[in-house]
Amino acid sequence: MDNPTLPIPISYISGRYLLFSIDAVTYLRREHHICGVLIGTLSQLPQQNVFLGLPLELMPEEARLLVDKGVACIVDEAKAHGGMESLAEEDRRQYLRELESQGLHASRLLSDRRDQNREQVLKKLDEKSRAKALKAKEKKEDKDVSSPASEAKEEPLDLVAPEPTTSTPASKNTGRQQAMGVTPATSYPPLPQPNSSQHLPPPEVPLSYPLFAHLSTRGYFLSPGLRFGCQYVAYPGDPLRFHSHFLTVSSEWDEGIDLMGIVNGGRLGTGVKKGFLLGGPQKSRDEAESEAERVESVRTFSIEWAGM
Amino acid sequence: MTTKRIENPMPEPSQLTELIDSMSASTNPQTATTLQILHNLQYQHLWTSLQIHATPADMASSAEDPRPTLISGIPPHRVYTHPDEQLYMLERGLRDDDLRPERLFVIPTAQGQRWSLRRMAAVFDAMSDIEVAADDESDTVALPEGAKAEKLEEYYRKRAEADITKEWGSKRALLGMVDKGMGGEGTVVYYIVQEGEVKPRQN
Repeated sequence: MDNPTLPIPISYISGRYLLFSIDAVTYLRREHHICGVLIGTLSQLPQQNVFLGLPLELMPEEARLLVDKGVACIVDEAKAHGGMESLAEEDRRQYLRELESQGLHASRLLSDRRDQNREQVLKKLDEKSRAKALKAKEKKEDKDVSSPASEAKEEPLDLVAPEPTTSTPASKNTGRQQAMGVTPATSYPPLPQPNSSQHLPPPEVPLSYPLFAHLSTRGYFLSPGLRFGCQYVAYPGDPLRFHSHFLTVSSEWDEGIDLMGIVNGGRLGTGVKKGFLLGGPQKSRDEAESEAERVESVRTFSIEWAGM
Repeated sequence: MTTKRIENPMPEPSQLTELIDSMSASTNPQTATTLQILHNLQYQHLWTSLQIHATPADMASSAEDPRPTLISGIPPHRVYTHPDEQLYMLERGLRDDDLRPERLFVIPTAQGQRWSLRRMAAVFDAMSDIEVAADDESDTVALPEGAKAEKLEEYYRKRAEADITKEWGSKRALLGMVDKGMGGEGTVVYYIVQEGEVKPRQN
């Protein structure tokens, strides 16, 4: 579990904030409670949306939070890849060689593991057959009758054993030329890491950002709330381990709240065993100098149906 | 076919209407809402020791945005128990009915009224300043004896701690909402509002 080098570059591509590095994705989830949404599907089967993979799409709020924390930076991916054409032929070759050596390393690891497994299995078989032979011997001694049949029985097992041992060195030799294909998900080894002058400004965020940041600093995991008819769903821990606690809706301090909205939220929340959380910053954007100041001033209210 | 002549086309005013007529001299619509919810609490939910409290005068108010009022009273049964508190009580074999009844605040509102976070926060802030007239809460419940009394004492000690750490939730109030619009039939619904992030009861 290597921690990626900070700040982690978040790729800004046609209005979306994406992460392509699996190390960054696991690190952010583990340390910063940022889950995002996996959106990568198979190019051959774009309809299958049950098992999605990289890239991970971040909400602007998530990207902004990470930038404000100094953990990540925003990189205009199209611009950053302008250097791809001017990549020197020598660099290109070296990069390809590197990929190949990575592939070799991977295939070597795989074959090593396969060998280990095989040895273990053989050892077990060997022990079994020896135990059998021992038993047979005891039986023989008991009966005091020597029969050649029991030795013949052992034979096939012995025959199996030497065969793989002769084939393993061969496979090790052939493993040299069959390097596994490595498709890197990020393009930052061939391209230089974009320096801080190339970073984009922090993402524009909706008015609900202060509530998002407030809940995030309290340790909640937040995910988009469309599925539950709210702005964010707040989980008390990793969503893989916990049910969510709140359906969250943000409001400005003086923004009108329809009481019917509270009834709707309260009823919906109670119906799915969650609370309805209404909150917002006390300072409007005109009053506060920065979003951080707004985050400081957040107050929240939890609402549940009283059942009477 | 004979048609029955209607002697008196105006029905008698309801108990509620009479109450509102007798109690509110002002034309403030908030007063009528408050009285209606008070009436509902008293006769439908059997609350006792009901009181009406005014919120501080510095709260913004206008004709269409009247200053909110507060009701407080004692429900016949406990309305809200925090999940952790419930677990604590369960471990000690305590039931809701063993505890002494507690006063709870109710925020009366009418459907269609304009609310905001500022208003909600102001009502919650006002709640801690309101002095509740002393009432005889103690004699309404028979004091349990023996082991239970000990456990209750332990519970109240823990509760005092929890009030400071806020682990069993902080300030709470019921939001009472009455439908007074066109065709409103006077139903009142109640929601528990608590300050801060308080985990839901059934999760």
